[in-house]
Amino acid sequence: MQDRPTASELLATIADLLEGEVLAATKGGLQHQVRVAGNLCRILQREGSLGAAHDAREIALLASVLGEPAGGRAARALSAALVARLDAGHDAALERRAFPALLEVVRSKLAIAKPGHDDYDFSGEQRG
Amino acid sequence: MSVLDQTAKGLAAFLAQKWGRPVAIENLEQASAGARRRNLLFDAVSGSDRTPLVATIVPFAAMQLVPIEVEASNLQLAEAAGMPVPHVHAVSSDNSFVGGPFFITSRIAGETIPRQVLRLVERTPGLGATLARQCGAALARLHAADASRAHPLVVRPAGSPLEAALAVSRRSIDELLQPSPAFTLCFNWLKRNIPPAPRRITIVHGDFRNGNIIVGADGLRASLDWEVCHLGDPMEDAGWVVQRMWRFRNDSLEVGGFGTRDDLRAGYQEAGGEWNEARFQWWKAQGTLRWGLGLAGQAKQHLDGSVPSIVLAASGRRVAELEYDTLMLLKRGFE
Repeated sequence: MQDRPTASELLATIADLLEGEVLAATKGGLQHQVRVAGNLCRILQREGSLGAAHDAREIALLASVLGEPAGGRAARALSAALVARLDAGHDAALERRAFPALLEVVRSKLAIAKPGHDDYDFSGEQRG
Repeated sequence: MSVLDQTAKGLAAFLAQKWGRPVAIENLEQASAGARRRNLLFDAVSGSDRTPLVATIVPFAAMQLVPIEVEASNLQLAEAAGMPVPHVHAVSSDNSFVGGPFFITSRIAGETIPRQVLRLVERTPGLGATLARQCGAALARLHAADASRAHPLVVRPAGSPLEAALAVSRRSIDELLQPSPAFTLCFNWLKRNIPPAPRRITIVHGDFRNGNIIVGADGLRASLDWEVCHLGDPMEDAGWVVQRMWRFRNDSLEVGGFGTRDDLRAGYQEAGGEWNEARFQWWKAQGTLRWGLGLAGQAKQHLDGSVPSIVLAASGRRVAELEYDTLMLLKRGFE
């Protein structure tokens, strides 16, 4: 076990520095990069606390859409397998199973990368 | 001598030669500096005449997507068609004046930064709806222009513009660093549900949106950034101006965060445009997919070392936003 501060605490400290003093001392393109860097620290903080659970859920969801056991495969391998199945020819049942599962996977990525992005649900602008 | 001073000197020499009288450059100010473009605002002063102008400069000739005269000719074509654009005063591919090819246009007052546009709309009753209608009308006028008069170097599709766009997305999907089942699902839906090609191929702005327009209290004053103008399906422009990323958090107002799709369509039709709902919806989803694939491509440029940049690196973590948006736009196709 590493000594305190934890990784999350250190990321918060770096983000505070970037978004505070460094941001105030920069301008233009560099200021934009500093803002981006601060935001990336916040993303990594959320990934640290949520990432492992989200990965496990993604693996379970993808395996269920494929109708196969995960068999120790990582999310990336299962995603590749699903892409291959989706591209193998139109399978309406597979697509209907895949849609809600992929939406849940994407929402869990957003919980880390951009919380709140999925508050908007596009009601009124979905194609008929 | 600073770069800005050198540029002022070059612009003064160029305009003096063109106008045949001495010209002084005053109030020179860099408005924006992207990878491919520098936009400089200045006053050209000659005797008692003061002309507010903008110089659009390509920093290195090699960075041009299209030669500068093609972009200038797009602007001139749009102006002739009755679309509000800055007037082109001069074009030069001579690198000796300002270190790269450039063109000079009139300077139009107003807001261009999206959040400032939205603030102006907020404090001006009725402006949002007016602006959305004007955007529709401006696009209709552009789309009515004679496409055969476009510069020969303007990109045009060999067959259906919809098929051509799909082919580009397919290539981008094949080049992804990691598989995206969400994008594949959406791509396959777009491929199966591709509408018939339009009867007419028109001039398409290609990046008409909040951020590329000049807006005043009276509404739309000009449309900027004609670099990716091409020939294609007019509904591509309609489907692009409504993308969620141009709404700047005002998500419920589809057109740039200031107006509704109904206002856009009404303005388009009132100006004689032929709206096609199926192609509009298709391009909207294709545009969202394309932007998501573009963000993944940006992350790849950072990771493979071709353009190291923390901003491009961060684009990779924005892909999920576009996966979500594309899935939601096509939700009904999977119910």
